[in-house]
Parts: sequence; C-alpha cells; structure tokens
Amino acid sequence: MFLGRVIGEVWATRKVADLEGHRLLVVEALDAGDDPAAPMVTPVVAADPMGAGVGEEVLVAFGKAARVACGGDGDYALEAAVVGIVDSHQLAKEGSS
Amino acid sequence: MLVGTVVGNVWASVKDPTLEGLRMLVVQPFTTGDESAETIVAVDPLGAGVGERVLVVFGRAARHCIGKGHDVGFQTAVSAIIDRMDLEDGRTIGPVRAEDTER
Repeated sequence: MFLGRVIGEVWATRKVADLEGHRLLVVEALDAGDDPAAPMVTPVVAADPMGAGVGEEVLVAFGKAARVACGGDGDYALEAAVVGIVDSHQLAKEGSS
Repeated sequence: MLVGTVVGNVWASVKDPTLEGLRMLVVQPFTTGDESAETIVAVDPLGAGVGERVLVVFGRAARHCIGKGHDVGFQTAVSAIIDRMDLEDGRTIGPVRAEDTER
C-alpha cells in the first residue's frame, strides 16, 4: 500500500471484461522523484471505487486487497486500487528528528 | 497496473507448455520523466500491435486475464488497449506516440 497523488486518468475501450465500469486513475507515489539520481517515475494505474479526483492524495492498495475493494475476489483482472482519499498526512523530512 | 507502449514481439519454440499459443509482447513502461529503456514482457489476449499503448497487469490478476488457471508460467498480461490518458501537467497520451499532445 502506498501514499500517492492522482496525476491523471486513463480510458480504454478494448479491455478484458472485468475492467468494465471501473474508473482508472494514474497515481504517482508522493516520494517519487525525490531521489535526484533517479528522476524517472513509472506511475501506477489504479482502479478507483472511491471517486478520487486529479490532484488528490490517495491510498493505493495492491493484490487481493485491491480486488476486494473493487468488489471482486481472488479471480479479478486488476491488482491496484484506490482504497482511501487522504485528508491530511505528515511526513518527517530526512534529517529531522 | 501500469501503462506502457508495445515495442516488440517475442517468439519462443522451447518454452513452458503453459505458454503454448499465447502471444507475448515487449512493453516499455510509461514514465513521467525521462523515458526508460527498461522493458517487460506481457502475455496479450487482446491483440495489441507494436506502437499501441496498453494497460499491463501483474500476478494473479494477469493469470486471470488469460483464463488458463493459476498454474501457468507467466505473471504479466495486457488487460486493456489504451484510448487516451490525460495527465494533470496538460499532456494527453494517445493510443500511439504520434497522437500524444503537449499542454
């Protein structure tokens, strides 16, 4: 599970049946890009049963947790989903106590 | 799940029997920064072509996409062919690279 920010949305017409009716968001980890040596970021695509919007901070879960959040079970064609919209968070910056 | 661009095909004669009859694509993951040269191989049940943008799924979900059960020799699959991806920086990612637009 990770803390991310919604940076976009994806649409697809040709897809496996399980994805029918699921909103797909592009989510970038909040700590992504912090490493100046590795500025390249591969964003995660997550199904969104919560109705998050672009720019919002979200919790993304993987695996069975994601499938359950989307109303599926073990046999379901997705493995990443938004499971929460974050109101606020606090991160200790590197070097601080 | 991630979005990627199909950059090639893979053929193999000697392979796990559970890979028999499955189409395998080489996919380059989409990145927000500099483009990565890293690629992944995904089984494709939808018939995506080279140059097309696809959604790639992993693990149990990928095996479920192919419908041959879970005792199979792959764990990455194409689950959708992307029409469009809108990003907050104003870019629109099209079904193929030539149709991408900047802000």
